[in-house]
Parts: sequence; C-alpha cells; structure tokens
Amino acid sequence: MTAQLWAVFIAAFLASAVEFVEAFTIVLVVGVTINWRSALAGALAATGALAVIVAIFGTALVRFVPIDALRIVVGVLLVLFGLKWLKKAILRYAGLKAMHDEEAIYEEQIAEMRARGEHHQTRVDPFGVATSFKSVLLEGLEVAFIVITFGLQANNSQGAGGAQPNGILIAALGAFCALLLVIGAGALVRAPLQRVPENALKFTVGVMLTTFGTFWGGEGLGIEWWHEDLFLLVLVAFYLAVSLALIAWLRPYAPPKVAPTPEELDNPIASEVTE
Amino acid sequence: MNAILRGLKATYNFFAGDAILLIAVALAFLLAFALERASMPNELVAVVFVACIVGGLVTTLARELRGRPRQR
Repeated sequence: MTAQLWAVFIAAFLASAVEFVEAFTIVLVVGVTINWRSALAGALAATGALAVIVAIFGTALVRFVPIDALRIVVGVLLVLFGLKWLKKAILRYAGLKAMHDEEAIYEEQIAEMRARGEHHQTRVDPFGVATSFKSVLLEGLEVAFIVITFGLQANNSQGAGGAQPNGILIAALGAFCALLLVIGAGALVRAPLQRVPENALKFTVGVMLTTFGTFWGGEGLGIEWWHEDLFLLVLVAFYLAVSLALIAWLRPYAPPKVAPTPEELDNPIASEVTE
Repeated sequence: MNAILRGLKATYNFFAGDAILLIAVALAFLLAFALERASMPNELVAVVFVACIVGGLVTTLARELRGRPRQR
C-alpha cells in the first residue's frame, strides 16, 4: 500500500471514529433508557437508508462530476468541517469552553428522558426509533462523505499513475475499523467514550481536514503546490503551529478554575450533570 | 415555509454553523479563483488562499474573546 493510501486510511479512520462515537452515544442512551429493540431498529433503518444514498450519489459523483470541480467542492466542505472542529478544540484547550464530557452528557440525557416519564419497554417506541435513526443517519452521512471524498481523491491520484484505483475501498476500510473500535470500546465500558480523548481526536482531525481541504481545493483552483503531495506535510505543520499559537494567545482569557467542593470530589459526574 | 427555513438552517448548521468561517472560506476560494484567472504568480495565489483560511479561524476565535477580560 502506498504512503498516500495509508494517509487516506488514517484520515478516514480518525474522522469516522469521531462521528461513530457521537452516533453510538445516542444509540446507547435510547437502548438503555427506552429499549434496545427501538435503538437497534432506528440504527438499522438509518444504515439501510445510508446504503441507498451512498449507492446512488457515490456512483453519480464518480461518473459525472469533473475532477477540478469536485476538488473545489470537496476542498470547501473539508475546510469548513476542519475549521469548525479545530475552533472547538482550540477553545477547549485554551480553557474557554468546557471539555466534551461524553459520560456527563450520557447521564444527563438519561436523566432528562426519565424526567419525561420514559422508561424501559419491550415494544418498539417511535421516539426511540426516530432518535436513533436521526443520529445514525446524520453521523453516518458524514462518514459516507469522508469515505467518498478521501477515496475519490486517492483514486484520481492513483489513476494518473496507471495503478488500480482502490482509494474508496481503503477509506471504507478505515471507517469500518473505526466502527469496530468504537463498538468494541462501547461494549467494554457501558457508558462509552469517557476514555476516548475526544478533544485530542477532534484537534487532530481538524488539522488534517483543513490541510486536505486546502490542498485539494487549491489543486482544483489551479494552484501548483511545491513538491506536490509532499506539501501536505508542510501544510500539516503550518496549521498545527498556527493552532498551538492560537491556544497560547487565548489561554490568558480563560476564567480561573474554581476548586471543587468535597462533594464534587466524591462524585464528579453527578456534580457536572446537575450544573 | 417554516419547513423550508428549518431545512435551510439545518443545512447551514451541518456544513458550517459559523458565518465568519463560511464567509472566510468562500472569500478564500473566490479570491484565489480570481487571482488564478488573472494569471497572477502561483506563490501569490497560494499565500492569499491560505491567509484567508487562517484569517477566518483567527477572526472567529477573536470574536469569542469579546467581553472577556484578560485573567493573567
């Protein structure tokens, strides 16, 4: 496997892992709070809908869209996704935004659903199915988008060299490995994600998406990057340096941390949920 | 009408969710496209393109500091 295909695999793996983690949290909440039948029905229905959407639009993208136009569209979207994630991660590292505590969110959603009188049932619950369906479809679409765009770019780069294009397969493999990892991690710990350093993941993915978006978007516009694909490393280093400088600039504006009370030290999750 | 607006808002939130980032990225691509068509040097187009993207990130982060006094 070439270096570019490895880069596609890693980028698809990391980006997809973030999306799967978010979708999996909601499915778990519905499964535990309402019932697993509703949670899995919604997740399976969303997976089916995703398969149809990807089959239709994925093929259309490959066959009909001119490469430079595709690079520009992909570049715009990747830069937007990348900057959005990077901004949140920078604010969290600078202390201006609370770290994303998935377990606190999980407990909070369970508490909210119980407060509405929702509880375990054996029959399929429309609210549970809809909640699970919506989250899996939305996050799954983002994964599909990541796989198709990363894969297409690798295909086109390889195709020019006469090699067998298998970029989409490699990107899909990266996403599939991320799915297995998230499901495995979720199975090991009932309330998921607390041990996955989400902000570090989002920061890395933000830098990578912005880098790839800048590179591909620039190519689509006609910019000839110095040393072609090797310039990706320069862009990664540049965006990383800019992000670290921005964290250092913002950190002095973070509110001072208040020392936790003895009750909060005994039960930190409960204290966060009640805030 | 409400459904259309909700759909537009959901689309905006899905793809951008931040007007400054959206404007900066649009400006980066439009400006670079115009400079490229005007046969400007490749290095200049690349620098302007990346500067607009970074400028968007810096501007939206600077907005987060509005009303926040320096703590240390």
